[in-house]
Amino acid sequence: MKLLQCPVNGIRPVSEFTYGGEYREMPDADTCSDKEWATYVHHRHGAPGLKKEWWYHGPSGTWFIAERNTLTDKVSRTYLYGQENKA
Amino acid sequence: MPLRLLKYALSREHPAPRFFRDCTEPKKTYDAVIIGGGGHGLAAAYYLAKDHGITNVAVLEKGYIGGGNTGRNTTIVRSNYLTPEGVNFYNASVKLFEDLSEELDINLFYSNRGHFTLAHTDSAMRTMRWRAEVNKHVGVESYVVGPDEISKACPQLDISCSGQAPILGALYHAPGSVARHDAVAWGYAKEADRMGVEIFQSTEVTGIDVKSGKVVGVQTSKGYISTNRVLSAVAGFTPRICEMVDVETPIVIHPLQACVTEPMKPWLDTILVSGSLHVYVSQSSRGELVMGSSLDPYEIHSTRSSLDFVEGLTSHITDMFPFLGNVKVVRQWAGMADLTPDFAPIMGKTEVEGFYIDAGWGTWGFKATPISGKTMAETIARDMAPDMIRSFRLSRFEDYELTGEKGAASVGH
Amino acid sequence: MTLRIAEQENEWINRDMPLTFEYEGQQIEAYEGDTISSALWAADIKVLGRSFKYHRARGLLSFANHDVNALMTDGQDTNIRADVIPVTHGMQLTAVNTDGGVLKDKGRYIDKISAFLPVGFYYKTFHKPKWMFPFWEDKIRKAAGLGKVNFNYPRITRAKRYAHCDVLVVGAGASGLSAALEAADAGSQVILVDENRKIGGSLTYDMAADVNTGSLLKQLTENVLNHPNIRVIADAYAGGYYTDHLVPIVEKRGITKVRAGSIIVASGVFEQPPVFRYNDLPGVMLSSAAQRLVNRYSVKPFTKGIVVTANDYGYRAALDLAAANVEIVAVIDMRQTGADGDLTAKVKQAGIAVHLGSCIYEVVPTSDKMGVSAVVVCAYDEATAEADLHQQVVLHCDGVAMSAGWAPAAALLYQAGTQMRYDEAVQQFVPNQLPDGVFAAGKVNGIFELEQRMLDGKRAGAEASRYLGKTTVSPVEVTAHRGNSPSHPYPIVNHPKAKNFVDFDEDIQVKDFINAAKEGFDNIELMKRFTTVGMGPSQGKHSNMNAIRILARIRDLPVEKIGSTTARPFFHPTPIGHLGGRGFHPHRLTAMHEWHVKEGAVMMEAGVWMRPAYYLPAGVKISNQQAVQQEALAVRKSAGMIDGSTLGKIEVFGKDAAAFLERFYTGKFASQKVGNSRIAMLLDEAGVIVDDGVAVRLDQDKFYVSTNSSNAATVYREMQRNLQLWGMQVTLVNLTGVMSAMTLAGPSSRSILSEVTELDLLDEAFPQGAYREALVAGVKARVMRVAFVSDLAFEIHVPSSAGLHVWQKIMDAGKTYGIRPFGTDAQRLLRLEMGHHLISHDTDGLTNPFEAHADSLVAMDKPFFIGQRSLKILQKKPLKKKLVRFVLDTNFSEMPKECNLVIENGEIAGRVTSISFSEYVNRVIGFAFVLPEQAKAGNQFAIRTDSGRMEMAEVVEDAFLSLSQG
Repeated sequence: MKLLQCPVNGIRPVSEFTYGGEYREMPDADTCSDKEWATYVHHRHGAPGLKKEWWYHGPSGTWFIAERNTLTDKVSRTYLYGQENKA
Repeated sequence: MPLRLLKYALSREHPAPRFFRDCTEPKKTYDAVIIGGGGHGLAAAYYLAKDHGITNVAVLEKGYIGGGNTGRNTTIVRSNYLTPEGVNFYNASVKLFEDLSEELDINLFYSNRGHFTLAHTDSAMRTMRWRAEVNKHVGVESYVVGPDEISKACPQLDISCSGQAPILGALYHAPGSVARHDAVAWGYAKEADRMGVEIFQSTEVTGIDVKSGKVVGVQTSKGYISTNRVLSAVAGFTPRICEMVDVETPIVIHPLQACVTEPMKPWLDTILVSGSLHVYVSQSSRGELVMGSSLDPYEIHSTRSSLDFVEGLTSHITDMFPFLGNVKVVRQWAGMADLTPDFAPIMGKTEVEGFYIDAGWGTWGFKATPISGKTMAETIARDMAPDMIRSFRLSRFEDYELTGEKGAASVGH
Repeated sequence: MTLRIAEQENEWINRDMPLTFEYEGQQIEAYEGDTISSALWAADIKVLGRSFKYHRARGLLSFANHDVNALMTDGQDTNIRADVIPVTHGMQLTAVNTDGGVLKDKGRYIDKISAFLPVGFYYKTFHKPKWMFPFWEDKIRKAAGLGKVNFNYPRITRAKRYAHCDVLVVGAGASGLSAALEAADAGSQVILVDENRKIGGSLTYDMAADVNTGSLLKQLTENVLNHPNIRVIADAYAGGYYTDHLVPIVEKRGITKVRAGSIIVASGVFEQPPVFRYNDLPGVMLSSAAQRLVNRYSVKPFTKGIVVTANDYGYRAALDLAAANVEIVAVIDMRQTGADGDLTAKVKQAGIAVHLGSCIYEVVPTSDKMGVSAVVVCAYDEATAEADLHQQVVLHCDGVAMSAGWAPAAALLYQAGTQMRYDEAVQQFVPNQLPDGVFAAGKVNGIFELEQRMLDGKRAGAEASRYLGKTTVSPVEVTAHRGNSPSHPYPIVNHPKAKNFVDFDEDIQVKDFINAAKEGFDNIELMKRFTTVGMGPSQGKHSNMNAIRILARIRDLPVEKIGSTTARPFFHPTPIGHLGGRGFHPHRLTAMHEWHVKEGAVMMEAGVWMRPAYYLPAGVKISNQQAVQQEALAVRKSAGMIDGSTLGKIEVFGKDAAAFLERFYTGKFASQKVGNSRIAMLLDEAGVIVDDGVAVRLDQDKFYVSTNSSNAATVYREMQRNLQLWGMQVTLVNLTGVMSAMTLAGPSSRSILSEVTELDLLDEAFPQGAYREALVAGVKARVMRVAFVSDLAFEIHVPSSAGLHVWQKIMDAGKTYGIRPFGTDAQRLLRLEMGHHLISHDTDGLTNPFEAHADSLVAMDKPFFIGQRSLKILQKKPLKKKLVRFVLDTNFSEMPKECNLVIENGEIAGRVTSISFSEYVNRVIGFAFVLPEQAKAGNQFAIRTDSGRMEMAEVVEDAFLSLSQG
C-alpha cells in the first residue's frame, strides 16, 4: 500500500484515495473544432512523465491535484486545485 | 512415448537447431520494421512473410522476445465477447490457435478447458445472456448455465461463495482454452526467422523519422534503419512510441497483476472468471493455479507488484474455494496493460503514412495474438486494413464510433 | 540406528519432551523442537521425498526452507516443508508426489527414460497429430503437480495485524543484530525479523568449532532482547518489499503489515551447491545444512563423510562436524590454493586429509540408488571445469557435505529497486545503488568476515538513523572483503554422462542449459523460461546463481553481463489464507433493513447496499414471480411502499447553486420554481448518459438532488470536482446515508398518507412534481409528489434515525387499504408499465440521450453542460439505435428474455433491455433497442428467443398503462 499526502488531511494510505485521471485543460467548447473536442474527450497523454492528476480523499471528500511521475510513481507535491502557487 | 523424442536419446550432440538466429547487426534498410518482439509483433512478422512474401523484415525488441505482456498474462484464449465484430475477430483467433501448434511445429499446449464467467448478480446475468446471444448469432458456442452445471464442471467451487456472493449462473464458453504463452512467441519467432525475418533482441527504438507525413526510418540503439513501413506492437510502451510520431491515442497504462501458487495435483479442469469477485483462475499443466484480478486503479508505467492486489485476490479466491487457505502463493508479477476507453484494441493505419498501430490490448492481448498478427500483416502489405479490424481503427474515437464492448466491462480475461 | 549425538549446550531440541510420529507408515521418535527433517534424519531415514520431474530419491539439501523435494502431507495439509516445519506428536506424514510410497515410487521409471525427455521436450512433441494432444496432456497433467489438495481443508481466516516502526531490520544474524542495536541506541523504534525460530543467523550453526561464537551469540542476543526499542519477531519472514517501505511479516499465526521509516536488509546468503554427478543423492547436502543439523539439532548428517568445497566454508563445516565426532574422511578442495589463514592447519590437526585441486567427479550410489556409498575423487582443472580421470581415488563414505559459494538473499532489495553489481572479490551480486531509506548489511552486502559484518551492521544502523534524522556517532568504516572469495566462480565438474543437477526443484541439469542455449535461449530470462530454472517453489534460491554462471561460460561473457533475474514476491511461498485475511465484504443496510428481513424480504445486492428484491412472507406459498406480480398489483389497485433509502441524496446550496446544476446536468434549473422538482440527467464528457435523478428546489439558492442508488458516490464526487474546477460558490452536503427515503405509491397512497400528516395532499395543493415539508408521523419530512411507478405516489424523506418509525406508521395506516411493501423487482415492473426506462438497465455504457428518447431533457440552448459539446457532434450523425417501448404479440409461444436479440434480415438490429408480463396490463411489455427506422409506433419487429424462435413485438408510443385503459 502506497502512501499519499492529502493537502488537507496529511499522509494517508492510497486505499483511501480515488484516482481521478490526468488534469487536462478543457478547450473552449464554443470555439474549438469538433476534432479538437473529440481529442480532448477521448485522447490522453499516455506517455510516462511528471503529470498533474486529480486525486480524491474519500473519507474527507477532498479533491486535490498531485504532481506524480507515472514512471517512478513518486509524488513530488500535492495541492488543492487552483492553489498551486500557495503550495 | 512419441517417436519424435527418440532422436534426443540416440544422438550424442543435442540434435535441435536454434529457434532463431542470433541477429546483432541490422541492415541499412528493410521493407518493414516491427517494433516489439512480443507475440503480436512476431506473429505479424510471420504472416508478413508467409501470407504476403514480405521477408525483408526486422523485428526490434528492447528486451528479450516474449518478455513483455506475452510472458506475463494468464494465457486464456476465448472469443465470448459482446459485439459481433469482437466475437468474429476473437473467434478467428481461436481458430488459428487451434491449428497453431502444428503450423509452427511447436507444442503450444493449447488446451481446451471450457470457460465459465460467473455471475453473482442479476445485472451480471443479463450481461451473460447478452454475450451468449451475440456469440450464438455469430456461431460461437456460448450459453448461459445455472449453478448445477457449474458445479458439475467444478464440484470444488462453493456456489454460495462462502455466503458472500452466491453464484446465480454463468456464461459457459466451450472454446475457452489456455496455452503456453512463451511458446507462442518462440514459435512465431522460429518460423518467421526460418523465412528470413531478422529478430533483434536488446535493440531499442529511440526515434522514428517522418518526412512529409511519411515514415522514412527508425533510429535504434543499434543504428539507423531506413524503412517506409513501421508497425508498433509494443503494448505498454505504445504511448512512448506514438509520441515519437506525434500520433495521439486514448491509451493509458495501468498495471495488471497476476500470481501463481505452488504446484499441486490437477483438480481444476476449467477456467473460471468472476467479475464481481475480480478473480480469474485456471490450473496450468505444471499444476500451479494461475490467478489474476482486475487492473490496478491508477496509471503507472512499471511492473512493480502491490500487496493490495494479492490480498484482495486471495481473499476472493477463498470465497470461491474455502479449502485453499494453506495453499501457498509462490510468485506475483505485473504487466503494463494499454487500455482504451471502449475495451477494444486499436489496429490499423494512422495519420502518419507507413506508421501502423497494433495496440490497446488492455487485458485481452494474448488471445488475439494470431489474428492480430495476420490482420496487421495484411494491413502493412496492402496499406489497407481488412474489414475484420475496421471497427478497431484509431479514428473511431474522433468519429464518436466507439465499439460496443464498453457495454460489458468488468473483468473479462 | 540413531544419528542423534549427546546433548549439546545450545541445541534447539528439548530432550525432556520426546514425542513420536509416523512417516510413510513407520513410527519415529523425536524431540520437541525437531523439524520433520531433523527428526527423520536422526532416525537414519534419508529418503525424504521424490523430485518433481524424474522422481529421484532426495534427502536434505539446504535445511533452510528450500528443500522442495522434501514435501509432506499429513492428510489434512499438503506440501508441508519438512526441513523447517516442527514435528508434532502423533503426526502421520507421507511424502507427496509419489505413487506407491516414497521408497517404491512407481514414478521413478521417468528417471530411466530421461534421455528421451531433453530440456523443453514438451514443446517438441505431442502436438502432431493435433487430436492426440488431449491424450498426452492428460498424462502430463497427472504427472505434474506436487501434493494433492484437501478439498475439506477448513476455511481458516487470519486477521491481519499492523505495525509501524522507524527501522525494520530483516535478518537477525551478526550484521542484523548489530544494525538493530545501533539503530535502537540512536533512539529508533526497531522491528527485527528473522525466519529462524531463534535469532543469531549463522552464529547459531557456523562455528568452525570456535567456542567463542557461542558467547558472542549470547551477548548479542541478550543485548537485543533486552533493548527497550527493539521488538523481535522470530520464526517469521519478510514476504516482500512494497512501495513506501511496506513489508508483510509472515508468521504462522498470520501476517503483520509493517510500515517502516527505513529498512535494513541483512538477510544473508543462500548456500549454492557445487555441481557434480549424483550431487542430489540422499546423504549429499550443503555444508550449512550439515552444520545446522549437527549444531542445532544434534544430529549427524552422516557417520563417515566427505567435505567437498570450493571456498573456505567447507573447512569450517569440517571442523564443526569433526567436533561432533563425525568422521570426516577428507576435505576435497576444488581450488589449487586452499584456504586462508589457519583453517587448513586446524582441519589437518583434526586428523582430516585435505586434497587441493580436486573434485568429486561423481558420487557412487548405494545399490538402491538412495544413498551414498563412496565418492570418486579426481584432480580438477578450475579453468576448464574438467576432472582428470587419470588421477582418481575412490573414498568410501556415507555422506557428503558440499560448499561452493553463496547467492545473496536479495529479493527485498530487488523489489525495492536496488541496482546490483557483480563484485569479483566475492563473486557475488551486491547492491550498487540503494533506493532512499533502504540499506543492506552483512553477507547480502558482500561483507563476509564476522568482525566486518558486525561493523557493517553498525554502519547500516547508523545510516538508517541518519536517514531518519537521528544523530549518531561518527561514521563506521567497513573494510571490503579481502582474501579468498566466499564463492567460487564456476563450481561445476563436467561429466559426459551425468545428470549434473543445478535446480533440484525442477530437476534441471547442466546439459539442459547448454542445450537451451544451443536452441537460442541464451539470455538469462529466455533460459529461465525455457528450462524453468528458478520457477519451482524455491524460486531459484539454490539454482539461479549457478544458472547465471553456466550461461556466462556458454556465452563467454562476464557474469555481470548476464545479469540476474528479478526476484518477485514472495520471499517464501505464502499461504492464501494468510494473504486473504478475514475477507471483507462491506454492505450498507438501510434503517428499515431488519423490518424487511422480518417480513420475508429476499435481499439483493444493489451496489454497496442490500435491498429487498421481493417479499415472501412466512406462511404464504407463492412463487417469486407471483410475489412480484402481487406487489405490483397492490400498487395499481390500492397502495404499496418501497424503501428508497439507497438513493443518492445531495443538498446543493449557495449563491451559484442553480448555475452549478445548469452546468452539471442537462436540464434547466435557473427558471425552476421553489417547491418544484425537475429531472436531473447527467452525461459524461462523451455525451453518454451516466445518471438520472430529481432536483428539488428547496429555496432560491438551495436544491435537494437525488441520484440512482448505484451512482450516489460517483455523482457526489463529480459534483465536488467540478465545483472546484468551476470555482463556484456552492456547498454540497451528501445526505445519502443520513436520510431514509420511501415511496408510497398507488391510488390509496393519498388517503394513507393523510392519516399520518396534516399536509394537504390534494392535486391543487400538491400537484405532480411538487415538493413540501411537513410532519409525517410526527417527524419532520421532505415529501415529493412523484410519478415513476404510479400516477399517484409520494416520496417521503426523513432522517435515518426516524426511518423505521415513519415506515412503520405508514404501513400501519395502510393496513386497512391492503398496502404491501414492494421490492426492486416490482419497482422494475411498475416503472415499465409507466413507460420509464432505467439508466444502466435499459441503457449501456454508450447510450446517448438521443438514442434513449431523452431529447426533451437536454437543453441544447444552454451555454454549457457536461457532454453538451459532444452531443453537438453526435447531433450531426445519424442515429444507430433507438430505445423503444414494445408489446409482445399476444400469441407468442416462448417468452423472450432480457438481452435476447432483435433480428432484422438475419442481422442483429438491437436487443431487449427490459421485458415482463404485466398482470395489470395483461400483456408482455418491454423496452428494446431497435434500428432507428424500426422505431416508429406500430412498427413490428422480431425478437429471437433463447431457443431460436422469432417472436413478434410492436413498438408503442405511450406508457403501457394506457393499454389497459383502452
